[in-house]
Amino acid sequence: MGGSLLKPVILIGIVYAILKFVVPNIPGSAPLPASLIFLYLMLTTSGIVIFATLSGESKDAFWNPIQRFMTGENIGGLQVLRYGVLLLFPLMVGWQTYSSTATSDAPPSENRTIHPAPPGEYTGLSNPVPKTPDTIQQGKGFYAAFCSPCHGGNFDGKGPAARGFNPPPANFSDPTTIAMLQESYLFWRIKKGGVGLPIEGMPWKSAMPRWEVELPDEWIWKIIMGEYDGAHQAPRTWE
Amino acid sequence: MTQRLNYIVPTVAVGAWLAMELLAVQPGSAEEKSAATVQAESTLQSVSVSAPMVKGALPVDDPNAAVWSSATLARFPMSPQVHWPNRILEATVRDLNVRALHDGTNVAILLEYTDPTEDPDDAAAIQFMVGDKKAHFAHGQPMAQVEGGPVNIWFWKNKDGKALDMNAKGFGTLKVQTHQDVKAKGAYANGTWKVVFTRPLSTEHADEDTQIAQGGFVNIAFAVWDGKKDASGELKEKGSQKAVSSWWYFRAEAPPDYSGYYYALLAVGLALGFQFVLIRKLKKGQSA
Repeated sequence: MGGSLLKPVILIGIVYAILKFVVPNIPGSAPLPASLIFLYLMLTTSGIVIFATLSGESKDAFWNPIQRFMTGENIGGLQVLRYGVLLLFPLMVGWQTYSSTATSDAPPSENRTIHPAPPGEYTGLSNPVPKTPDTIQQGKGFYAAFCSPCHGGNFDGKGPAARGFNPPPANFSDPTTIAMLQESYLFWRIKKGGVGLPIEGMPWKSAMPRWEVELPDEWIWKIIMGEYDGAHQAPRTWE
Repeated sequence: MTQRLNYIVPTVAVGAWLAMELLAVQPGSAEEKSAATVQAESTLQSVSVSAPMVKGALPVDDPNAAVWSSATLARFPMSPQVHWPNRILEATVRDLNVRALHDGTNVAILLEYTDPTEDPDDAAAIQFMVGDKKAHFAHGQPMAQVEGGPVNIWFWKNKDGKALDMNAKGFGTLKVQTHQDVKAKGAYANGTWKVVFTRPLSTEHADEDTQIAQGGFVNIAFAVWDGKKDASGELKEKGSQKAVSSWWYFRAEAPPDYSGYYYALLAVGLALGFQFVLIRKLKKGQSA
């Protein structure tokens, strides 16, 4: 096979290696999904084909080795390789077809929104309880009594009652939970509980109690203060 | 013109085929990875119960029958029921082992859990959603922004020695059905309860009973009560004071389906035909 065919194959190999091994290691990047890599390689291939068929000579230079490989006589070891390829290609097509029609053993995938938008009346509320060491301490007391069984004495979501729940209780020391939210959001979540979530939050799976039936609003606001203080987080503000 | 097409079409085809060749490894390795992840998870905790189809009678009265071992063991963590008062903050049962079988007509589900004492009020239950509407895992509690459906509860209590087929749509709405389709049998030995629930896969009451279609996934949840009495004679766990699980999945496996092999065979035939035509064309083009 001529060098004109070797070059495209090497090029495709290099592009594949870059997409697969180099791109994921660029800071701030992530591994590419297989379908995207496939798309890029198809684009590369079409580019190569377009480039190779630009002129009559380059087309022949590109195509003749392929034609010789596919139909040529007396090409020695390449002939064995050709039959290998002719056998492998249908088998691969068959295997791909089988794996795409085989029924999956996996249960339906679930795409739950962890922090769905709150109803309008719960946006922008500010905590009416003055923030003093005393009120924070009271909040921590309420937290210990009502919240810590699931959310944990260390505010890490690992309370003794948490183990069976899916989704698991929120870990407040994780910077992607309450640190990303405003106090008014927490007020909504605590007051209305899991059953108060919109459909994208999958309310039917949450064990969070509807605390409005058991606790006065003032206690809930104090719990929020105790939670932020105990988890060493600050509520999100828009400033 | 035909001559030129004879060159260009195979050029593109071969180019695409080269790319596919290179990539064939990719989907394969991705699949392997996901299978490995699932296996790793199943050793820790399951997400679904899969009931294989068995030939012959289901072990409806025998929680110790050997045939149970042909079903894959699913294991679910349990929590005390905290969602609604009266709650408890600690429950006796912390893990539940579940196996299931079906024979194409009936389904049998075996719950197995550790309980240090056998008490008359020991009880266990399985919960399903009914119909298409989602139901909250705590007894189908009403949801604020989503219209929920009812739950179907299969309940067994040691001293009753039988099952109750019930419905609920929120705490305090539990109702025993007028038509009882569920049977249950419990056996206690060496600190372990084994309870078998049995019911036809489908019933005539689709608005009250969960319907189990072979091959499809339905939601399932579990509850267990330790009926031990404390020093004052009060039951340790009763009513809403119980160990509960979240929603997980249940499936009665469909009979084996070989259609995938037929499609694969068809695809192999098509690919062979494509190659045959391609090479014939190439050879014709060469001699022309």
